[in-house]
Amino acid sequence: MKISLILCALLASSVAACKGGGSGPEATGSGTAATQAGPRSVTIWWAQWAPADGLQELGREYQKETGVTVNVHQIPWSSYQDQVFLNFGGDTTDFDIVVGDSQWLGRGATSKLYLDLTDWLPTVLDLKTIHPAALKYLCEYPSGTPHYFAAPCETDAVGFAYRKDWFEDPAEKAAFNKKYKRDLAIPSNWDEFRDIAEFFNRPKAKRYGSALLTGRGYDALVMGYQPFLWDWGGSWGDSNTFAVKGILDARPGADALQFMKGLLRFAPNDGSNMDYGKVLEAFTSGSVAMAMNYFAFYPTIVRSMGAKAGFFVVPEKDGKRFTSLGGQGMSISTKAPPARQKLAKDFIAWFLAKQNQERWITKEAGFTANVEILNSPAFMNATPYNKAFSESVGLMRDFWNVPPYNELLASAAQHLGEALDGAKAPEQALGAIAEEHERILREAGFRK
Amino acid sequence: MRALRWVTIVLGVMFGLLPLLWLVLTAFKHHPDAITTTAKFVPIPGTAVGSAGVAFSPTLEAFGATGRAAADGEPNFLDYVLNSAIIGLCSTAASVGLGTSCAYGFSRFRIAGAKDWLFFVLSTRFFPPLAVVAPILIMYRSVHLPNTHLGLIILYSAFNLSLATWLMKGFIDEIPRAYEESAVVDGYSRMATFFRLILPQARTGMAVTAVFCIISSWNEFGFAMTLNNAHAVPVPVYFAGLQGNIEGVPWPRIAAGTLLFVSPIVAFTIMVRKHLLRGVTFGTIKQ
Amino acid sequence: MKHDAAAIRIAFVAPTLVFLIVIDLFPLLYNVFLSFTNAQLSSAAYDFVGTRNYSAVLGELASPRFQDALRTTGAFVVCAVAIELLLGFVLALALRDSFRGRSAVLSLLLIPMMLSPAVMGLFWNLILSAHNGVLNQALEVLGISGPHWLTDPHWKLPAVILVDVWMWTPFMMLIALAGLNAIPGYIYEAAEIDRASTWAVFRRITLPMTAPLLGLAVLLRCTDALKQFDLVMALTGPNDASTQTVSALLYQVTFAGQKVGLGGAYACVVLVVVIALASVFTRYLDWLAGKQGRSGQVAT
Repeated sequence: MKISLILCALLASSVAACKGGGSGPEATGSGTAATQAGPRSVTIWWAQWAPADGLQELGREYQKETGVTVNVHQIPWSSYQDQVFLNFGGDTTDFDIVVGDSQWLGRGATSKLYLDLTDWLPTVLDLKTIHPAALKYLCEYPSGTPHYFAAPCETDAVGFAYRKDWFEDPAEKAAFNKKYKRDLAIPSNWDEFRDIAEFFNRPKAKRYGSALLTGRGYDALVMGYQPFLWDWGGSWGDSNTFAVKGILDARPGADALQFMKGLLRFAPNDGSNMDYGKVLEAFTSGSVAMAMNYFAFYPTIVRSMGAKAGFFVVPEKDGKRFTSLGGQGMSISTKAPPARQKLAKDFIAWFLAKQNQERWITKEAGFTANVEILNSPAFMNATPYNKAFSESVGLMRDFWNVPPYNELLASAAQHLGEALDGAKAPEQALGAIAEEHERILREAGFRK
Repeated sequence: MRALRWVTIVLGVMFGLLPLLWLVLTAFKHHPDAITTTAKFVPIPGTAVGSAGVAFSPTLEAFGATGRAAADGEPNFLDYVLNSAIIGLCSTAASVGLGTSCAYGFSRFRIAGAKDWLFFVLSTRFFPPLAVVAPILIMYRSVHLPNTHLGLIILYSAFNLSLATWLMKGFIDEIPRAYEESAVVDGYSRMATFFRLILPQARTGMAVTAVFCIISSWNEFGFAMTLNNAHAVPVPVYFAGLQGNIEGVPWPRIAAGTLLFVSPIVAFTIMVRKHLLRGVTFGTIKQ
Repeated sequence: MKHDAAAIRIAFVAPTLVFLIVIDLFPLLYNVFLSFTNAQLSSAAYDFVGTRNYSAVLGELASPRFQDALRTTGAFVVCAVAIELLLGFVLALALRDSFRGRSAVLSLLLIPMMLSPAVMGLFWNLILSAHNGVLNQALEVLGISGPHWLTDPHWKLPAVILVDVWMWTPFMMLIALAGLNAIPGYIYEAAEIDRASTWAVFRRITLPMTAPLLGLAVLLRCTDALKQFDLVMALTGPNDASTQTVSALLYQVTFAGQKVGLGGAYACVVLVVVIALASVFTRYLDWLAGKQGRSGQVAT
């Protein structure tokens, strides 16, 4: 095998040579080049979106203060996960810090890809200042134990954007009052939500009631279903015994799925399979009354629709109100050289300091996990969506974050999707997920 | 019969070209005009952006955006085009060079198992990239080739060699042997004959082959997305990434970029129009 | 001519063959090796797991997932190639005789097949959207309520086929035209003297005489369509039950699921099919050369 590799390398170099020098070599992994050039820089990988621009701006301020360069490399969402874990496969990583999805924690921690920050994190941060939900889901693995593999970076939650101008239109208000015998206002529970969606749904005029997260590509459908699941009193399973059967596929989950499916009648065309970008596009194209999405998308909405858009927290059901957690924590690659790991730690410590978190929230969609800031009037009034965000943080829960999370996600997305498409009854779909989840969890050694 | 024939032609042209026309129109729109639920297809300057109706105000904004990067320090669209061009041109040079010499060998010498070798050469093109890319990725890692221009150049050179060898064999078969025989009598060596006599005569064939090789590496996606997704990213992989764009898919920018990206291919297609048939059938049909 | 030293012969041919063996054949063998391991892309270490991946694959052969991928790929290849053949042949018949501007029309029609499927597939998303796509709006004008192309599970595969047909009908047309042009005029003249009906001329002369080349076109398209990945990725993503072709499943298992070993085992099964098809193709070429060799039109 070695011989073949050498052959391959020889061929590679000869091809380069006969090309008159070739153009390849200078591109051979910026990571290795940077390592040799000196360790005064930190490379961060994150997905391509507005918060990453904000982090890059903070990085420039950090450079002014310390002289250490911070590079935020942005990768399209659609291939972000694949690229990060492919990069972890090499001897070194091109990044020192990765801002990874909450579900990745288990894989990063157990495969020793993420540096264990358990001893270090409490020395640079008073953990009590971090919202407990953010700490639990963005930093801890296993969740609920004091073992930290990430520092909170972007905290995010699912909420709703709505057409403020339609809601405040006197003619609409009168018509709504006549039909439903109450005032048209932000829905506080799901039944009110349903009525409003029905009221605004006018397909002939190309106006629709609500757009939900239903895309099956990665996690959109699961994140969209979760508020229903939890509000109805259901759960993905027992987080101690990892039992799924009899819990996920019980009555509450099925009723929740049935209700969610019912809402698709008021969705725009293609509404049964919309990922984050499609929901955003449907809403900004001006044809949808209420759209479910993560708060990190809302700056884009405000930018393109201005005062026409308002925002609210997910509705409740019988006093229960939960939402899907989003966002990412900063983890340090174990495959970065020690000198760079040290620099990465320095940057994270700086980022977490309260005065810098206060700068972070001034960036577009820079959402902090710092409780004091979250509850301050200055934060709540800074944007039209901050108040709803601040409320949502306390309602957050997350999907499984164990190492085989991706298989769990794919299985859930597939069967939930079949239920929305009408190929399976909700009970059947959840039964199939429970079956597969128990098998996956058993194979991974969690379910005894 | 006559009418039927014209209806067929008109429908065929519409089916083929209307999607491309939509691409052109989208490239000249503002983003809000590209995602309306009533399609806008009449360019009227001065129309308000996002207004109702079928008119839209044409703009060059999307083309301007192709030169701008998503963020500071990140590549812009033209950098991705450059990556595609470097990879395409270098791999084409390698494929045509190696393919021509190999084709000459098979055309002029009696080689043991020639048929089997030629079958082997052709069969390499039938492999689905996704079936072979994982071991290539692991192999490449040990020599630091993922995310480099060189890595894809090597792969595309190999991938296109089958096409180059088969196409060039067809072209060289057509060059009469009499020239070489008299040259050999005159004391030319085999190498000298190849370089001085055959190469000049095979010029058209080599140009045609080069066009087909460059088109196929320009368009390739499977290998590129799995091997070069962080650095030295070619255009198709960059476009695929835009689909996951969190701020909504930037359709006008995609359309403008696509127009720029496919225009050389359209030009090449028209250039090699006469040899197109040969190219797409590995030289097995000659016109 | 045949007196050249072996060294010269090798000098011409060997670089290509060695290069191809290293780049193409070696990964195949390495693939077989990996298929006996539990290698993951995110770590360099792996253990041998014996034939577990194969028992997994054999188990999966009976499981819906792999069968679905095979069935989806089969349905895609058969439908797409058949429609392309039909439309391409009809177009070729219409374009057979010369008219003013024929050359320009031909050039324009041939453009789609030279474009990148990944890039054009992305743009077709905008055309096919049921929310704001232009295709369904055009159908509405004709009084047809268009389907939800990219979200209705029954219409996703047809949507992928539609885009493939758009790209590859020109290919069939091009080869069909070559076949039609190769039919000598005197045969038709003879038929005219015999007062044969149009249909009889088509069935007895046109169709059988173009069939061999159409067969070649079908084989070439099939080998290409079997690999279908780009359009699926662009239109519905790799993990969509109704459009998951074998290549998409390989991607899902190897890259999203990170199971290189299992992916390698799938790949070995797929490659056996591909190699079988490739050998059918070369045999067909031989047959074609034998059949039409005298006319000098086809050579291998």
